[in-house]
This record gives sequence, C-alpha cells and structure tokens, in this order.
Amino acid sequence: MGRERIDTRLLEELTEQSEDLNSDAVRITHSALTDFAQSAQPVPARWWQRGGALAGMAGMAALIGSSRALADSPSPSASGMSVANDIMALQTAASLENLAVSVYQTAAGLPFIQDGNKTVVAFISKTTAQHQAHAQAFNAAAVQAGGKAQNNPDPKYKAIVDQALPTIKTPADVVKLAITLEDVAAQTYTANVGQVSNGDLRKLFASVAPVEAQHRAVLLAVQALLAGNAADLITIPVDPAKLPAAAGSVGFPDSFYPTKMASPISEGAVQ
Amino acid sequence: MTTRRGSWELPISERELSSLTREMQQAHQETLPAMRASALDLTEEIRARRSGEAANAGRRRFLLGAGGATAALVLAACSSGSKSDSSVPPSSSASSSGSPSSGASGQYTGDLQVVALATALENQAVGAYKATLDAATAGKLGTVPPAVANFVTTAMAQHADHAKAWNAVLTGAGKPAINDVPLSNQAETLQALSAATDVATVAKLALSLEDQAAQTYLFATYNVTSPAGIQTAATIAPVEAMHAAILNYVLGQYPVPDDFLPVDKAASPSLLTV
Repeated sequence: MGRERIDTRLLEELTEQSEDLNSDAVRITHSALTDFAQSAQPVPARWWQRGGALAGMAGMAALIGSSRALADSPSPSASGMSVANDIMALQTAASLENLAVSVYQTAAGLPFIQDGNKTVVAFISKTTAQHQAHAQAFNAAAVQAGGKAQNNPDPKYKAIVDQALPTIKTPADVVKLAITLEDVAAQTYTANVGQVSNGDLRKLFASVAPVEAQHRAVLLAVQALLAGNAADLITIPVDPAKLPAAAGSVGFPDSFYPTKMASPISEGAVQ
Repeated sequence: MTTRRGSWELPISERELSSLTREMQQAHQETLPAMRASALDLTEEIRARRSGEAANAGRRRFLLGAGGATAALVLAACSSGSKSDSSVPPSSSASSSGSPSSGASGQYTGDLQVVALATALENQAVGAYKATLDAATAGKLGTVPPAVANFVTTAMAQHADHAKAWNAVLTGAGKPAINDVPLSNQAETLQALSAATDVATVAKLALSLEDQAAQTYLFATYNVTSPAGIQTAATIAPVEAMHAAILNYVLGQYPVPDDFLPVDKAASPSLLTV
C-alpha cells in the first residue's frame, strides 16, 4: 500500500465526526446511567399524583381525556425524572415557542413580507397563533406542576436570531430562519416525549411536535419553490400539475424524525 | 505520522480512511441504541424487583436492527402484564403473514398489540401507494403530476422503513412479522383505491391514511409502556404528519389545520384481525 498525503481538513472533519459520535455515546450513556441511578432511589411523589388535577388548564384542556388513567403510569425510561425536570422541559418548550412567536411577528412586519405573497402572510399569521397556543399550553402545564411560566425566549436561539435578523433581506432569508426554529422545536419535543414522566405530558409534547414538523414541511416546500423561481406557486389552492417534482418530497427528508438538535431541558428554563 | 506542507502523511489512502470512518460510524450507530436499550432494560428490571414484580428482563429485550434513528426498542412489559387499551379485543389465532419463522399463534398483546397495529398500518400505506403507482402506470388516474409521483414514491419508501422497524420489534419478541395488512378496514381501503379515477381521489385517501397513522402514533405515546416504543412512535408521528401537510397542500387545503394533533382519527387496536 503506497503512501498518500491526506488532506488535513478532511482528517479534521473525520475526527470531528468521530468526536460527535463519541459525544453522543457519552450523552446517551449518561442519560441511561442517570435513569439507572434514579431508579435505585425512592421515587418521589409527583405532582400529578398529589391530586393536582390538570383540569382547568385552558391550553391543556383539549389534550387531556381518556389518557388520564394511563397518565398515572410514569414512563419507565424517565420515571426517575423529577418534577423539576418536567418543569424545565416545559419552560424550555415555552421559551422556544416564545421565540418563534417573536420571529414570526417580526417577519410579518417586514416590508417585503407585508407587500409580498399573500399566502405567506396568511401562513405567518396562522403559524404565529399556533405557536402562541403551544406556549400557553406549555406554560399552563409548568404552572400546574408548581413552576413558573416562561415568558422569555430561548436564550441560545435568541442569540442566533439576533445575529440573523439584520441580515434578512428576502423572503427566502425569513424562511430559512423559520425552518431552523421549527426544526429545533420539533426535535426538542420529539425528544421530550421520552423524557417527561407521565402520560399527560407525553401527550402534550407528542401532539405539538408533529405540528411544528408540519410547519417545517411547508417551509421546506416554500423554500424549494422560492429557490426554483416559482414563487407564484406558493398559493392555496395550487395546481399540482405545475409543481416541480421536488416539491413532492422536499418537505419530509427523514424517515424518522431526528432528535440530534433537540435542546436540553434546561436550555430555556426559568432561572 | 508526519506532516508535509500542511498535509498529513499516512500509510493509508483517503478512500481507506473514509471507509474505516464509515465503518466506525456504523458501529457506533449500531452500538448506541443497544447500549441504551440494555441500560434501560436493567433499570426496568431493578424497578420491577423493587416493586415486587417478577423481573422478566429477558422477554423485555428486543433489539431492533432496522434503520432509522431509533434502531432499537426495549419493550418493557410487552407481555400480558403490560397495560393495554381497553378496547383491545381478545387475541385470536394468528398467523400473520407468512413469516417463515411464524408458528406462534396471534399473541400480540400489550405493547406488542400496538406494535402490530402500527406495522399493519404501515403496510397498508405502502400497499396503497404501490397501488397508486400501478394505477398511474396503467393510466387509470389520468395525468399524474411529477410532484405527486415523487411524493408517492418517497412516502412509500418511508412507510416501508417504518414497517421494517416495527416488524423487527415483533420478530425480536418472538412474534411473527406482519407483512400484509391484517386490518378489518383493508377491504374497504382497497375498494376505494380501485374505484379511484383521478389523482385527487387517491390523494384524499392517502391523506386519511396519513392522518390515521400520525394520530395512532400520538395515541401510542401515552398508551405504550415501553420507553423505546414510546420514543419510536414519537419519531414517526411527525413524519406522517409531514406527509399529511404536503397532501393537504396538493389538495388545495391548509397544510397545518390543527394547533395540536388530535386523536379522533387514530386507529383502534380493535381493527387488527390477528
């Protein structure tokens, strides 16, 4: 086997990939070991077992039904997770929603959005309202659990948004930023489903994640149409015959929704 | 290892190094879920012991080798001791699908009944999309837009991925794989498909299947007891919902109609005929 020179950059990339995998391994192992350690401890009384009925929470009302009896069974994978962790997860979720609301509201005020595609304007309006509903639901659950409502945005992604906003010049820039926020939210909630400690919260996170994923699917399709100079096809109803082939599949790139970008439960927790 | 003019000099080619890295990645990806599954299994066993339950850890461990991020499942308490929906009918005998290793009677109980339902729904979707492609090829649906054809092909492949994942759970648990559609509504579905003469009709039918699948997985997240089963359902539900969003758009309907995914269209385990 002859000697060949290897591009340093390639090697660094490969090393970085290896480090990422190792980091994943450490994180997963830590999580599992935490489960293990906590399982050996007496399980503390949880808020939903203290008779703190969830009834009356406006945001959750539609979500709590027949699952109630089952909700008393904690998720085995996360049964050791404390109430505090549930609250943090809910607050972080609310913080992501707050940021999304803020970004969409800012976008709605941009001249090229206001004077642009009416379907995009309608989408922004409807999506803003949906994120507001999600924030209310997460905050209601956090308060019911004994925590505080989170009314601030996620700090990590707020910094990213603050950096990006001055550079936004076109609808495509808005769409790109929105895709990031929707994806992070969807990934976070998908991960949260397996992290929270009761059925009601699993149902809440699992009922919101697909909605954020749908937002992302629409935005990915819009992004593709904008990139293909087919902005006129961003309309409802659309003539499917005019859509480029890619529009049929660009909206759902993964067979299984990833969670690699999921925010840690503490990221947006009330300090 | 030395460097020369900014490059590493190794007794190995780039291709070999890349290949080794891919193998390492694959090994990691295969190992991590198994490691997590084992740890979770252990946790469950300890918890069961503490609560005085029989610790049937052996039957809880089903490692799934299928693709996807959630490539392993631990279906804790998937046996009769697990909680299941009250609407679940008594299991009947079951040869599901001609699985070579099947021989067991239909014993999809507890979590595994939900897994069986999920598998059947995925097979139903794959079959529906396959029938759509066949009908399109035969000219029965008129002109099929390229975007629709692309949607059908891609969504069908993803549903096949989901079915593989769920079937791996079943076979890992010693149950027969489900390779057909043992659902009581399948005849009705096939009839509707065969009667379709245009793309819109097929798209509406597909939308109903996607809504049903997404909502069934949502239902599963708070009715299944296995942590990894919960997480797997959680990672598939958004994908089915994304399919539904694009179908709504193609059909001229608002693509994100609900603030929260409902469960009114979720499939009942009672649909299962095995």
